[in-house]
Amino acid sequence: MVGFLQACLDGLLIGALYALIGMGLALIFGVMRIVNFAHGAFLMVGMYASWLLFDRFNLNPYLGFIPAGLLLFALGFLVYKALIQPIRERSDFMQILMTTGIALILVDTAQLSFGADYHQTNIELVNRSLHFGPFVMNAASAVSFAIAAVFIIGLQLFVVRTRTGQALRAIAQNRDVAPLMGVNVTRIQGLSFALGLAYAGIAGGLLLPALYLFPSVGEDYTLKAFVIVVLGGMGSIEGAAMGGLVLGVTENVTSLYLGNQWALAVDFLLFLLVLSLKPSGIFGRQRA
Amino acid sequence: MRFRSFVAFLAVLSMLAVVPAAHAADGNTVKIGVITSLTGSQAAFGEAHKNGYMIALDEINAKGGVLGKKVELDFYDDQSKPDQAVQGVSKLVDQDHVAMLLGSYSSENTKAIINPVTTHQIPLLIPTATADNVMDSKSPWVFRICAGAAAYAKTWIDFLKKNGDPKTMVIVYEKTNFGQANMQAMKAAATAAGIRVLATEEYEAKAPDYKAVLRRVKDKNPEVIYFCSYLLDATTLMRQSQEVDLNPRYYTAAGTGFSAAEFPTAKGAGKNAEYTLSVSQWLPEAPWPHAKEFDAEYFKRTNTHPQYHAMQAYQSLMTAVQAIANAKSLEAAKIRDALKNIDLKTSAFGPVKFDANDQNQHPVLITQIQGGKYRVVFPADVADAKPIIPAPKWSDRH
Amino acid sequence: MNQLRGWRLWVLIAIALVAVALPLFVHNDYLMQVFFRIVLFAALGLAWNLVGGYAGQLSLGHVAFFGAGAYGLAIWTAHGVPKWLAFVLAVLIATLFAAIIGKIAFRLRGPYFTLSTIAAAEVLRLIVTNLNITGGAIGLSTPPLFSIQGFWTWFYYSAVALAFLTFLVNLWTSRSRFGYYLMAIREDEDTASAVGIDTANYKLRSLLLSAFLTAMGGALYASAFQYIVPDSVLNIDISVQIAIITMLGGAGTLVGPIVGAVLLLGASELFKTRFQESHLLIYGILIVVVVLFLPEGLVGGLEHRRRGKKPSQPAAGASQGQPALADTPAKGGR
Repeated sequence: MVGFLQACLDGLLIGALYALIGMGLALIFGVMRIVNFAHGAFLMVGMYASWLLFDRFNLNPYLGFIPAGLLLFALGFLVYKALIQPIRERSDFMQILMTTGIALILVDTAQLSFGADYHQTNIELVNRSLHFGPFVMNAASAVSFAIAAVFIIGLQLFVVRTRTGQALRAIAQNRDVAPLMGVNVTRIQGLSFALGLAYAGIAGGLLLPALYLFPSVGEDYTLKAFVIVVLGGMGSIEGAAMGGLVLGVTENVTSLYLGNQWALAVDFLLFLLVLSLKPSGIFGRQRA
Repeated sequence: MRFRSFVAFLAVLSMLAVVPAAHAADGNTVKIGVITSLTGSQAAFGEAHKNGYMIALDEINAKGGVLGKKVELDFYDDQSKPDQAVQGVSKLVDQDHVAMLLGSYSSENTKAIINPVTTHQIPLLIPTATADNVMDSKSPWVFRICAGAAAYAKTWIDFLKKNGDPKTMVIVYEKTNFGQANMQAMKAAATAAGIRVLATEEYEAKAPDYKAVLRRVKDKNPEVIYFCSYLLDATTLMRQSQEVDLNPRYYTAAGTGFSAAEFPTAKGAGKNAEYTLSVSQWLPEAPWPHAKEFDAEYFKRTNTHPQYHAMQAYQSLMTAVQAIANAKSLEAAKIRDALKNIDLKTSAFGPVKFDANDQNQHPVLITQIQGGKYRVVFPADVADAKPIIPAPKWSDRH
Repeated sequence: MNQLRGWRLWVLIAIALVAVALPLFVHNDYLMQVFFRIVLFAALGLAWNLVGGYAGQLSLGHVAFFGAGAYGLAIWTAHGVPKWLAFVLAVLIATLFAAIIGKIAFRLRGPYFTLSTIAAAEVLRLIVTNLNITGGAIGLSTPPLFSIQGFWTWFYYSAVALAFLTFLVNLWTSRSRFGYYLMAIREDEDTASAVGIDTANYKLRSLLLSAFLTAMGGALYASAFQYIVPDSVLNIDISVQIAIITMLGGAGTLVGPIVGAVLLLGASELFKTRFQESHLLIYGILIVVVVLFLPEGLVGGLEHRRRGKKPSQPAAGASQGQPALADTPAKGGR
């Protein structure tokens, strides 16, 4: 029983980071229906940004994620203006193609600039653990959880309480009618793309101490992000947050009982299950 | 719109019109073909290979090359895929007319090129692929310079029998060819030697969290844990072993991650690496000439220390060029015979001599991290320290 | 619906002549392999075209059928089954997979469908990597279907034969009632259903046909290169490559996938040789440039629909700007 609960705890800690990645994609997919195959690649960019700051200026990634997030925000806006907006009216096909091309460019540029070799970021915090009762919690994981939680709640509040956030939701619900309500669709879409990528950047910074850094590190995370978004219900921000936590816990519990090699397969099985049985997602709102 | 499309169409076409001229065999250089994984999942190791090859190339050409000509390397990127490696053989041999081949990186890519190499009748020197099935075909054209997985397992069993004779083991391995091949080799060898393999735990490499796996291992309570892990997973595994309070008598490993230069330092597992035993084909502290110089040169070029993959690439090229020199010819059959008869009493990678199966009997070293440094503890004739067994419990370490 | 008017017919004839005569001018194994790959991917693109082009269902999981064909051949021959029989069995089993995957995936629309195809292929890849019978990550050897000297020429001709077959299937589809129904589904699935077309049935049929042909390609590929690992025949990159070839060449056209394969695969091989480590970067730039400036694919005539014509909903949802057929006025198209 303790083992199970411990696995759940570890799952929640990593799940918060998954939630950030998923929420970023939910913003982009939910508001813009853009199937962003480059999401993981942008996560990688965030990781490299944080790593550079750590390597050159000794900036702790738990602070370095902020500039990483800002960089991704700016980058997201630029990419949107230059590459996404011109093809906004095209089909899903072309968007997937475009984002695939972008991903290739980002990954290979990273390899050319930094080499294919792996980098690890060792900070002292990673070696400390907090004990309470029979449970152990890695100190660094706890810190990243706390930071992630702030941003998760922050985004949720933004979407629900602010006018811009409401405009975002309006577009997600009905893109054609939203302009009639006075929503500047182009501007909001640009903003949500940039914000979605910023969240990927923040997650990257927070993941840096836990993962190894190499150019293709983001690949797995693109697919995971889609699983999370589907779990949570397409376009639902809080759903994605929940989806991230659920995924983290499921992966860890699977590792415990079946072995680690099945964890990734379970991600996809869960994904297919949800798509077959409740396509609006576990936490999605029921739609017509 | 039509015009723009047409122009773009032409632009795309013209990119393809830049057909690479077939490389005419340049009479002034000796061309050696290299297949390795410059992109794809093994790119980090392909890069290490390339660095090793380039250091050797520069050394060779500084001394005037071979047969009075400079040596030129013709790289082919197999993108970490075996079908691309096969294509590489054809390109390098049929199109570029290289004198011989070196490569590839991974065992599956290397196995894939054995047949084409034999069909094309060109000598191949294998630097790094350790799976035993690579040498199964016994082709006279294929030579391997590194020790195979069975040699790793055999050396481990020898060591364990002479140092405490444990009876139970759990193998933790990554879900790749390297992990699976080494797990199979060790499982077979251990079982044959009377050591019970209680479980084999596979994991998805490069994940952030292995605690669940390690807890499963802890439940089984084995005397020996054998890790087959690359690079940075070793760091995570040891750190999380400490968190989970996993205390076997022996922490052992199939090399790579547990033999990396950074592993015992603050950039790696630091204090958590202490007492881990690992097998290695080479390390900068190896008792062979030129090892330290290679380390220094590699560090100068890349700002990291070399793992044995880079050295294997380096020595493969050195050996290949030596064979060409001995053969005094660029004919494939003569180079093959020269390789068969080569006998380097010593080199940066130790002695090089291929046995009847064209396998170099490369000695496998066992190291232990003591006081933050790698010490060779086996075999006895090259050891510089005694192994510390059992590994102290985590709670007993400071 | 005669697609083969005017210049297109001549281009096709020219391509066919070049394809057949090629080995007379090429005596080099390496180039033969490159052309084998190009022609094979043209065949794969044409096979995908049935589902992605005519039926308008963007599948990014086709590598599942490719890999099933490859692994089927390897596993059956490893158990002593003669190679040609193994080939047939592999293709049949792959088609069975398609039936299962299709039943689940086709209940979804648009991006949901796409994601489910991706998930299905990934699950297959993970299962194959974890099991012993498939060799796990170590992979399997596959016997060559032709073991004579100069076998690359034979493989090349097999690929040409497969491409020809898939082309004929496309041609037949574009002129038949089956194809008409598929295109109706592509243009507006709900209306098609409302006028009595059994959409689930026809979509599934297109997938089965497509999977059958794709699996043949996979088995052929495995047999040619004689060694497979999950990364080389079950990788999502292959699904994306097939889709890109067809979409950039022109989905829903007859010539599009062929042109796409020739240009994109040719470019990829050239870049690899010329640019070594930077080849993926150049390839990515190529894709971005083509998407930005050649909106209708290279063989034109697809993108007519504006996005957002219908409010988007999951699963009960609309098609979002599916490609229209060349030379055929699409509903609401320009």
